[in-house]
Amino acid sequence: MAERIETMVPGNVWKVLVKPGDKVSPGDVLFILEVMKTEVPHTSEQGGTVKAVHIVEAQEGVDAGMLAVEID
Amino acid sequence: MFDVIQPGLETSIQDYPGRIGFWNQGFPPSGPMDSWSFRLANLLVGNPVGAAGLEAQYMGPTLKFSRDGVIAICGADMQAKLDGQPAPLWESIAVKSGQTLAMSAAKQGVRAYIAFAGGIDTPPWLGSRSTFHKAGVGGMEGHALKPGQSIPVAAGQGAAGAGTAGRKVKPEARPRFPSDKTWSIEVVAGPNDDWIDEAGQQRFLSSDWKLSAKSDRTGFRLDGPQWTFTEKAYKKAPENGAEPSNIIDHGYPLGAINLAGQTPIILVNDGPSMGGFINPYTVPSAAFWKLGQSKPGDIYRFKAISVDEAQAQRLALNAICQNSNIV
Amino acid sequence: MIYERPRYLPGGDRYMLIEFGNEMNLELNFKAQGLAAAIQQSGNGGVIETAPCFASMLIHYDPDKIGFKDLTKEMQSLIDALGPSDDIELDSRLFYFPTCYLDPWTKAAVDDYCAKITKKKWDPEYVAELNGLADVQQLVRVHSGTEYWVAALGFWPGLPFMMALDPRCVLTAPKYNPPRTWTPQGTVGMGGASTAIYPVATPGGYQIFARIPVPIWDTEKRFPEFSQSICLFRPGDRVKFVPVGVEEFEHVEAQVKDGSYVYNVVDYQRFSVRNYQKWVKSLNKSDRF
Repeated sequence: MAERIETMVPGNVWKVLVKPGDKVSPGDVLFILEVMKTEVPHTSEQGGTVKAVHIVEAQEGVDAGMLAVEID
Repeated sequence: MFDVIQPGLETSIQDYPGRIGFWNQGFPPSGPMDSWSFRLANLLVGNPVGAAGLEAQYMGPTLKFSRDGVIAICGADMQAKLDGQPAPLWESIAVKSGQTLAMSAAKQGVRAYIAFAGGIDTPPWLGSRSTFHKAGVGGMEGHALKPGQSIPVAAGQGAAGAGTAGRKVKPEARPRFPSDKTWSIEVVAGPNDDWIDEAGQQRFLSSDWKLSAKSDRTGFRLDGPQWTFTEKAYKKAPENGAEPSNIIDHGYPLGAINLAGQTPIILVNDGPSMGGFINPYTVPSAAFWKLGQSKPGDIYRFKAISVDEAQAQRLALNAICQNSNIV
Repeated sequence: MIYERPRYLPGGDRYMLIEFGNEMNLELNFKAQGLAAAIQQSGNGGVIETAPCFASMLIHYDPDKIGFKDLTKEMQSLIDALGPSDDIELDSRLFYFPTCYLDPWTKAAVDDYCAKITKKKWDPEYVAELNGLADVQQLVRVHSGTEYWVAALGFWPGLPFMMALDPRCVLTAPKYNPPRTWTPQGTVGMGGASTAIYPVATPGGYQIFARIPVPIWDTEKRFPEFSQSICLFRPGDRVKFVPVGVEEFEHVEAQVKDGSYVYNVVDYQRFSVRNYQKWVKSLNKSDRF
């Protein structure tokens, strides 16, 4: 079942830990945003294969609620 | 009393008006950034407007109650759920021992305030329970909430409506967040507006300024056009410093738009009390709630008002934060 | 320049900034400190708190109790009543601090700034060059050659802003643009013509070139000097930086850690503005150590 992971907070993209084709398990951290100098890890709930990644490391000023990673 | 299951992004104990009287030792007032929402939350649960409560930022906490009580959540919508059921904003809610309040990421606004009937009862520090976590003072052991902490709440006071569930803030008394991510922010010229030339003043007041993600409770950094200066900024004694925005160190008003080189930073609740950059404009107290609810990426457009108008707005906001607006 | 009449400037709806002048002049700081004391004694109900600084004072007032114009009038009459600053005498403590100049820790902070934010010349070299000094060794001799007067506390709780008392040791340095995101605790730095000590690791914009191992801020009150307050300093204190090497720095750091360090405070002197001004007049200001 497809999972869409959106950004939970506005901020900067600190780390992107996956690329399309990667297999992830439930709870794996996919990417980490940074706001107010605090890291905000974003995880997959269901796990699966990464279909698309729409953000890049060091990207600045992403919005909250933005589609960041898609998992099949 | 409640336990911190999960602290959210940065959730801290604050009271209003914060830590006052220690500016000359370098202590900022701290306290809630959106004191409009904060005060209404306290009124909903029958507290004095200044009682200590929680400020949640961006992502809210998960709390478990160990005693029956009444709470209220005002400000940003963090989809609060009490034992899995949606909990309303702008309304007092009964909570029972054993229940869990879970809050997630803010959909509208940035800061949510949680008031507890009786008020949070941690030891005051220099007269206030407000947290200045960068210096480790106030709040819960000097810092934002951590998982596993138990936070004490005083027994409810006997005021009218104390600890009564189902009280609501009149819709017209609630702050309204813009849907287009653009804010009109009032500013009063000064103290150092005479350091900016006519063109620079026009440019400041007519441009869009973007709130940078490099912003927090110490300062709100803005991205926008260049500042240009009057002769005063260049022809000055060398000890002022070599850059045009350098000045001999002076006290910073809360809300000052501090010009560090070409970077304007609005000094907010945990910001520095003094320094060596000019402050051409100051955001007045009644506009602070807008700063508290805006996100990185939002656009500010500044509107110049007089000291008298700013003081009138402050009085108007004080009049809104009254029991007459709770039904 | 010392203003004929102070300037009264608004800061939003609740603040007033009073400017006494626009130069680094001890007399202006005495005026600011004197006004702060006078306001407290006058029991002015509208003033919530004051924060004196080098040549100015910030007032936080309650607009429900007093308006900006009336506050201006009241402040002017208090200032008129203060009298000439030459008459002022103050009890003044003197602190000696072991200080590691040209230390590796501030150098690491500057290197980090160059790598992450923007390139700049190493701060002591920059300051030495800007002030026409022969080299960084002369910077150490000149900077450490004077007592420093604590004119104000702020920017960070307990952070002292100090002025060189010996005019032969006055230096200037612009601030970082943009500022650093961090500074080691205990760093000694300069911005404009003031010297500061960073009580904890905060961001900052001063040129940095020395470090002290002795705490000036202590929420745990581990030493008797903090029994009254968690900040070591009061305005009117003086500081002498005593150059030491890394080894001595680390020795003192260990003493601080185990609680055996004894602060070196001289607490019997009285500072006379008149005597100070007389001494300053006797010096050749262009001499350098």
